[in-house]
Amino acid sequence: MTTVQTPRKEESQTGTVRKRLTPTQKIAIRKVLAHAFLIGFIILVLVPFIMVISASFRKGNFAPSELIPDKISLEHWKFVLGIPYQEVVNPATGETRIVKAATPPLLWFWNSIKVSFIASAGIIFLSGSAAYGFARLYFKFRSATLGTLLILQMFPMVLALVAFYVILDFTGQYIPWLGLNTQPGLIMIYLGGISSYIWMIKGYFETIPPSMEESARIDGATQFQTFIRILLPISAPIFAVVFILAFIGYMSEYPVASVVLQSSDNWTLAVGANSFLYEQEKLWGRFSALAVLSGVPITVIFLLCQRFIVGGLVSGGVKE
Amino acid sequence: MSEGAVEIKDLVKTYVDDRGRPTFTAVKNINLHIDNGEFMVLVGPSGCGKSTTLRMIAGLEKITAGSISIGGRVVNDMEPKDRGIAMVFQNYALYPHMTIYNNMAFGLQLAKKKKDFISDTVGRTAKALGLNQMLERKPQALSGGQRQRVALGRAIVRSPIVFLFDEPLSNLDAKMRVQMRSEISRLHGQLGSTMIYVTHDQVEAMTMGDRICVMRDGLIMQVADPLTLYRQPANLFVAGFIGSPPMNLLRGKIYRKDGGLAFTENSEKNALTVPLAGPIQDLANRYVDKEVVFGVRPEHLSEEVKNGSHVTLKSTVDIAEPMGSESLVYLKAGTGNLIARIAGEHLFHMGQEVAVQLNMDKIHLFDVETEEVVH
Repeated sequence: MTTVQTPRKEESQTGTVRKRLTPTQKIAIRKVLAHAFLIGFIILVLVPFIMVISASFRKGNFAPSELIPDKISLEHWKFVLGIPYQEVVNPATGETRIVKAATPPLLWFWNSIKVSFIASAGIIFLSGSAAYGFARLYFKFRSATLGTLLILQMFPMVLALVAFYVILDFTGQYIPWLGLNTQPGLIMIYLGGISSYIWMIKGYFETIPPSMEESARIDGATQFQTFIRILLPISAPIFAVVFILAFIGYMSEYPVASVVLQSSDNWTLAVGANSFLYEQEKLWGRFSALAVLSGVPITVIFLLCQRFIVGGLVSGGVKE
Repeated sequence: MSEGAVEIKDLVKTYVDDRGRPTFTAVKNINLHIDNGEFMVLVGPSGCGKSTTLRMIAGLEKITAGSISIGGRVVNDMEPKDRGIAMVFQNYALYPHMTIYNNMAFGLQLAKKKKDFISDTVGRTAKALGLNQMLERKPQALSGGQRQRVALGRAIVRSPIVFLFDEPLSNLDAKMRVQMRSEISRLHGQLGSTMIYVTHDQVEAMTMGDRICVMRDGLIMQVADPLTLYRQPANLFVAGFIGSPPMNLLRGKIYRKDGGLAFTENSEKNALTVPLAGPIQDLANRYVDKEVVFGVRPEHLSEEVKNGSHVTLKSTVDIAEPMGSESLVYLKAGTGNLIARIAGEHLFHMGQEVAVQLNMDKIHLFDVETEEVVH
């Protein structure tokens, strides 16, 4: 019997049944792959963070251990928050002692916030006004100066540690509160790191059409008034970004602070936390608790600044 | 009164680079007098120096040489705010973070005027411009036309003696542009202030200006009222720039022919030849066997003979654009291309033979070397 063979039958006869994916199936597979990648990525980011939190709640100071401690202990947090607690010194005799930090770690925490906040505010002021000059004023060697700034920012601050030490040693002879082992001295060094921020803010200023400032000038505003009343409010988003970046950076800065600040009541959080890591014994628990603590002000600053980072703040003023 | 008169003398603007070396001269020694209360339009293609001139009057650009005086006072070294001017920008230049009220009041606040006075002035101006319902809004919430009206209001509240407009309508859509055009003209009538208006749009220039200053490459080509500019262009550039569609311009030579004179277009063969008639012959006499540019406006090519001397041209229709009341007909006569604006409500079709009447009283001849009109 001869029958008309349909193409479909032909396919089944050869035995290679090739399933064709419908477009919806293709999209579904793509989605699954994308999600798998993203979830993997999130795990990669979150696991170290969770490890730090878990280390801060775990009894003892063992770094590599299970993710969720079987026994939750608050000793590290008590230590960090300056609450005295009892510790068994000798398990055989049951001898105990009261543990309390010599310098309360909360003081370091406060020092860090103080230094980071003042330094970041100073950064905003300095880099904002410098960026205005570079974006809007025309003077000799403008591009040469900008290029120099760009090259200078490529060297890490640590390279100049010796110089910072000498500078502060020198200023300390004449202005004691601005010398070595002082927080104002540290802030002064921190304020030097503005070149990358100048570039960032300058780039933003250049997206703002100059006609807005020209209009203010015709309205009778001085250059300073134009800067304060027109350019600054419009540039709120970039200043928020710069503030956050600077704040995060200074909150966790270690090398410069560790050289400049010598007495423990002047220390910032990063220096203080590092003091728990002795060569002989690394007190990971206290270190972790401090690390978690340092994230708190960063989070708060971020949430506060977030509302300034809104797109389209300039829109409506001009038509492109 | 010459309170709002603007006098521009030997004005030069040369831009310099970072190191102070001259790069580009935007305005090359121009002289212009603008009467008190006059609506002067600066028009020209982009890069002709019209905006630079306006910005120098405003005080936003430094003057390289020459002087500008407003109301008899030289303002070269005066701050913009002291010059008695207000400016409306092409991109509105509103302050996006301020309400409409504050946008308009900003100048008065900086001048430390009394609060009552400010709210009264802004309120009145906003009402006149139909903006009083949106004083508390931000510019973002307004349409393009409304924004430009805010910019206009911001200029008005400063009660300047000279208004400066830098292409204020070019960002608006066509309908809004026509509306704002008449609004600015009405404002000029009401306030009677001097207004200097920069545009690249010759229709805006023709419809709004008391006088028009046509510029090219940093030089003034002609200053005249709209009709003079249209009827008696001083040179080739103005003839080609003003009018839409533009004047027909043909390059050719004047010959003696059959006892009279004729213009023949430059061409290898089949050149368009126009026998000259009427007063134009006296001018053409000086250019016998010399090159000239022959110019005629599209409306002076017609189907019927009107007053004055006429010459009949045989031509074929290339393209026709019926506009309703008239048609723009692209004609081919010999090798010459001519546009005719022919009244009448009938259609033309491609390849049709048309005998057009050329009004010889309306012909312009231009010198090829100087590009000036022959007169």
